[in-house]
Amino acid sequence: MSNYLEIANSPWMWVMAIPVVVLTGFQGVLFAKKAIHASKTGAVNLSGEQCRKAFKVGAISAIGPAVSVFIVMIALIAVIGAPMAWLRLSIIGAAPTELTAATMGAKAMGVEFGSPQYNVDTFASSVWTMSLNGIGWLLFCGLFTHKLGGLQDKVAGGDKKLMGLISTAAVLGTSGYLLSGHVLAGGPRLIAGIAAALAMALLEKASTNIPKLKEYNLGIAMIVGMAAAVIIL
Amino acid sequence: MDNTSSSVKIKENTTSSDTVFYNAFSKKITKYGRITLLGAIPLCFLPALYLWFAHGSIPAVGTILTGWFLIASIYGAEYVMTPISYFPILGVSGTYIAFLSGNIANMRVPCAIVAQEAVGTEAGSNEAEVVATLGMCGSIITNLIVTTVAAIGGVWLYNLFPPIVMEALNYVLPSIFGALFALFAIRFPKFGAFGLGIAMFLTGVVKVIPTILLVPICVFSTMAFAAMDYKKKKQA
Repeated sequence: MSNYLEIANSPWMWVMAIPVVVLTGFQGVLFAKKAIHASKTGAVNLSGEQCRKAFKVGAISAIGPAVSVFIVMIALIAVIGAPMAWLRLSIIGAAPTELTAATMGAKAMGVEFGSPQYNVDTFASSVWTMSLNGIGWLLFCGLFTHKLGGLQDKVAGGDKKLMGLISTAAVLGTSGYLLSGHVLAGGPRLIAGIAAALAMALLEKASTNIPKLKEYNLGIAMIVGMAAAVIIL
Repeated sequence: MDNTSSSVKIKENTTSSDTVFYNAFSKKITKYGRITLLGAIPLCFLPALYLWFAHGSIPAVGTILTGWFLIASIYGAEYVMTPISYFPILGVSGTYIAFLSGNIANMRVPCAIVAQEAVGTEAGSNEAEVVATLGMCGSIITNLIVTTVAAIGGVWLYNLFPPIVMEALNYVLPSIFGALFALFAIRFPKFGAFGLGIAMFLTGVVKVIPTILLVPICVFSTMAFAAMDYKKKKQA
């Protein structure tokens, strides 16, 4: 039983992974339907065409990030098998998180993840740890999300303009933080960040005349950033 | 464009339009959000249960608890802090989506924002929340297609990627974050400078603050800065 990957890639493991993946897709479709319904009933001021556009833009803009998920997923498939990698990367918990959880599961049994001693029993321990880790977010958000609102409303006090400003500031605070690590790292990561930022600024200017461009802004800016990093490297 | 007339209409009965929105959208989203997230929990254990019943592979209870303790000591605080940190961007429906399907910073947030940009919604409005929801739903479908293709034929496809593309994909994150930051920083340079500045200062100079606190500090201090700036200008 030492080759755990045979079991990890067995047809039944695929079957066990399907429900979670399907549920994720189901939620995506369900929420989109509710959003379209809200616009149809006039609860929000959006046309059907605007709704379709929003969905399409989201789907297109995800292609770039999804391809990079694809790459790390290959590494994950090699160690935990394709079905588990498929399940884990369809829901919360990125590849490094899952690898850490798999390692901790092995460690709990006193075995090194990836060593010859790593067998189907230690794999089971890794699977338990990955599953238990993932439910942390599901449980917290499932129970408390509806209680999280209100802070922005309280600060803004019904002032719609301030509300918009605070939302924008939240995006700048988050993206500023996410970017800061790459800026401090310097080298090609810094170059990618700067090039993509400049490209986005130019595309924004250009898209005032060509509105259609807005849908592809992020994708184009990303490619410019990545290309700049590779070329200048 | 009938933008002016519609926005006047909204302003006239803000409270009632918010109630209508709550009943038509937020209430249902909360219901189905809770069902899908809590419903996903038992489904996540199917592979573990299969290994137990079909192959007799189940760690001792103590081992499972040890593994759980080890991983929760690393990520436990994130279960609470990540949802709180991203809530100002994601809102109720976005949080239910992002914390089921993951890929929050690299995919859900950018897709929500680009969708809002393309449609041209006003920041913080109900329309913005609905459009963000649709953008994220679109990104889920793309993600599912790509992970499914990767699971089935990924190893084979992997070898078709030219080395230069593989190299370039290392820089996907700084590119996304740089573009996202620029999109808003050109409109609000002062808030942008504050947001990036405080993050650089805390990670590059102070260095001792744990990551788990860094994100909320950066997000909420930038929000507070914007609120104070607005109130100061309003008084002046």
